[in-house]
Amino acid sequence: MNTKKISDGIWYLLLAGALVLPFIPGGIENTFHGHVLTMVFLYASMAQAWNIISGYCGQTSFGHAVFFGIGAYGAAMAVVQFNSLPWYGAPVGALVAALVSIPISAPCFRLKGHYFAIATFAIVEIFNRLFMIWDWVGGAIGLDYPILEDGWRNFSWSSDKTGYYLGALFLFALVFGVVRWIDSHRMGYYLRAVREGQETAESLGVNSSLVKLSAMALSAGLAGLCGAFFAQYNYRVDPPMVMSLDMSMKFVLITILGGLGTFWGPLLGAAVLIPLQEYTRAYLAHLGSGVDLIIFGLIIIYTMIRQPTGIMGLIRGLAPRGRDASNDGGDR
Amino acid sequence: MAILTVRNLTKSFGALVANNDISFDVESGTIVGLIGPNGAGKTTLFNCVAGLYRPTSGRITFEDRDITNLPSWRIARMGVARTFQVVRPLKEMTVLENILVGAYMRTGNPAEAMASAKRCMEMSSLSHYMDRRAGGLTIGNKKRLEVARALATGPKLILLDEAAAGLTTTETREMVELILRMKSEGVTILMVEHIMEAIMPIADKLVVLNGGEKIIEDVPGVVVEDPEVIRAYFGEKYSRRLRKGAKEGNDDGRDA
Repeated sequence: MNTKKISDGIWYLLLAGALVLPFIPGGIENTFHGHVLTMVFLYASMAQAWNIISGYCGQTSFGHAVFFGIGAYGAAMAVVQFNSLPWYGAPVGALVAALVSIPISAPCFRLKGHYFAIATFAIVEIFNRLFMIWDWVGGAIGLDYPILEDGWRNFSWSSDKTGYYLGALFLFALVFGVVRWIDSHRMGYYLRAVREGQETAESLGVNSSLVKLSAMALSAGLAGLCGAFFAQYNYRVDPPMVMSLDMSMKFVLITILGGLGTFWGPLLGAAVLIPLQEYTRAYLAHLGSGVDLIIFGLIIIYTMIRQPTGIMGLIRGLAPRGRDASNDGGDR
Repeated sequence: MAILTVRNLTKSFGALVANNDISFDVESGTIVGLIGPNGAGKTTLFNCVAGLYRPTSGRITFEDRDITNLPSWRIARMGVARTFQVVRPLKEMTVLENILVGAYMRTGNPAEAMASAKRCMEMSSLSHYMDRRAGGLTIGNKKRLEVARALATGPKLILLDEAAAGLTTTETREMVELILRMKSEGVTILMVEHIMEAIMPIADKLVVLNGGEKIIEDVPGVVVEDPEVIRAYFGEKYSRRLRKGAKEGNDDGRDA
């Protein structure tokens, strides 16, 4: 009960602090760390979306780049092909991502454990190739945004990037808000019950297939929204940018580093890895692309050896009470 | 009135016939014991009733509705809860969270689910451990958790698969008290049990299985006199003692 109150406190303080920041002179306006913070909120949201199906529900997906990509194309298609607004494209993209995730994952859910993960790997490659040769969505060249008027209407800003920061913050509040709600309601208990033992969960009235599919659809839809933001922010989209294993790995690694199946894990993971990624890109760019991924990998290996439960495990380890509760002679 | 009926149930795994043409009834509000030597097919029968296995042939009805081929979650929602012989705690969740999963079957409201989970937790004497990780409990507490979780689903019929196995004498007595309390609240109980001290005094009826077949279905007093049951399960010596009514004898409780 106590930890719940602390968690609530941190949540509201964080939102309030992040909302006030742009109004402080020199806070984030056109600064590099403004960009980094925007990315932290975006990637934290992506990781949290992934956390729903893979952390809470235990179905490790390496396919989330597909749903992210569909969302990105949703926004970009609305703007580039239909001369419309991203506000229409983003929800449509998210919805399509959610719908696409259902037929994809339904057969994969019959596979247990590692086989499920492997099957999702293949899906990224399939979609990557498909979008590469699909002319309507720009093929390998992708979609480039035209020059648009700055502002919320077009969700695009060329000089003052505060709008993007606030957009990322809203996305963050939405995705994390959804997971907070799930966490304290039936859905959260059912997700974790399916992860801990599917047959046991079913003996308690849990329709595990439905739980997994709805968790996947929600997770994919939210990942799609994140993708739409990503397209708006980069002003373009092409298949390798969004539908790649690199991108899928980011969903996975950020969450694992922060703490799988925990509410704060995705934010903590993003808060460590994203600044690292952005600063290494800025300062180590001459070493070639992918340096950030090499560093990602090293950190993950180190964490897995030292603290497999991620940063959240590290924090819990600091509290002596949590230790007692988990070590009273039983199995693991 | 029979709340559960099993008719001509056969379950085979390849050439092995685990249950052969078994029929019996469980009357509403009673405690029915399912006994028999190891390998008699008791757990298989449970798994068929609970929907974990599909019977090869035969029919199972619950409250006059056919549940033979329904998935287990659907049977659970109709009001049939079960515990597992080999305990299956949701390891990384706490004791209270485990019970909450059961409680959420009847309500989506967190406050209501919490109230009902806490009631079941108290009934099973687990309140002291509520924030413990379920995977770290002792076997006795894990057994209690199995029952508490099943109870939280608000069942009409509960299937207890060796709920007292591996418990100390005191723990066994507490388990028996818990079972009687469930009965007094109107829950019908079908239980597999090897510990005769736990089942003989409380069962309204015993169904005895041997080698996948039902050999008798009657009140405990008749069952202990039955020569076939004595030969198949109790053994001469133990049966004589049971007949003498040595019910408080805890010194040699386990069957041979």
